[in-house]
Amino acid sequence: MADKTDLSMMTRIYAKWAPVYDMLYGRLLRPGREAATREALACGRDILEVGVGTGLSLPGYPEGYRVVGVDLSKPMLDRAAEKIERLGLKSVTGLAVMDACRLGFADACFDAVVGQYVITLVPDAEAALDEFARVCKPGGDIVLVNKIGAEKGFVAFLERIAAPIARRVGLSSEFQLARIRNWASKAGFAVSSVRRVGVAGFYTVVRLTDRRTERAEAKAA
Amino acid sequence: MANDDERTGSKPMQPGAGQGIDPKLLELLVCPVTKSTLDYDAVHQELISRAAHLAYPIRDGIPIMLPEEARRLEE
Repeated sequence: MADKTDLSMMTRIYAKWAPVYDMLYGRLLRPGREAATREALACGRDILEVGVGTGLSLPGYPEGYRVVGVDLSKPMLDRAAEKIERLGLKSVTGLAVMDACRLGFADACFDAVVGQYVITLVPDAEAALDEFARVCKPGGDIVLVNKIGAEKGFVAFLERIAAPIARRVGLSSEFQLARIRNWASKAGFAVSSVRRVGVAGFYTVVRLTDRRTERAEAKAA
Repeated sequence: MANDDERTGSKPMQPGAGQGIDPKLLELLVCPVTKSTLDYDAVHQELISRAAHLAYPIRDGIPIMLPEEARRLEE
């Protein structure tokens, strides 16, 4: 469970970075973000973006989609709101401040839940994934983008703060993937694709598809 | 749906509502603690969770769905 000091510290850090975030990270994180959006577009019309930040991914959703963006940081979301207004993005239903581990959405709301660079930044990745699964419609998808092996810069800095040293040992790409696979098999999701994107496969985009119903039926049979 | 989309773009002001919040977003939101339904107080711009005795504020049209930021309701 997220402890309050961690959460408020993260909130303060994000607030400081919000004004310069697009300039610094807009380009750097773009390949992973775009690959995730492409995956999400194929999943259905109702999309949840967790860790939407300043809304860099939002222009990627054409009219007809219904996208909701959440983030822990209100200053980041204020930037996203500006962007939505300025670009006249009709596909965005709304924004909300939320903790990825305690989402305030009803069960089975979304065709796809996209987690951009959040799995390594929350105190309890499995709790966040459980929440993604809960708000995912039957047969829906979870799309996760991670920047693998961030050793320098903002993301690495955040990861250091978010996860205690003992847990950071597990931030290598193989371990991350194994952890996601392990969660998926327990939760009844199938790993439907793993893509490496960007220079030297710097980002991984993992798509998990809900097979909970099939699994329950198989068990019952 | 077409109407809703247009409304999202233009963000009309409702009487006493400050900045509007999309009704489609309201339909999706529940209390993050109890996962129970919320009542929308348009005048005070709050989302009330009776089950958790919390009122989540809406600031600049953005709901703040964190219990730490919510106002405790008197019993």
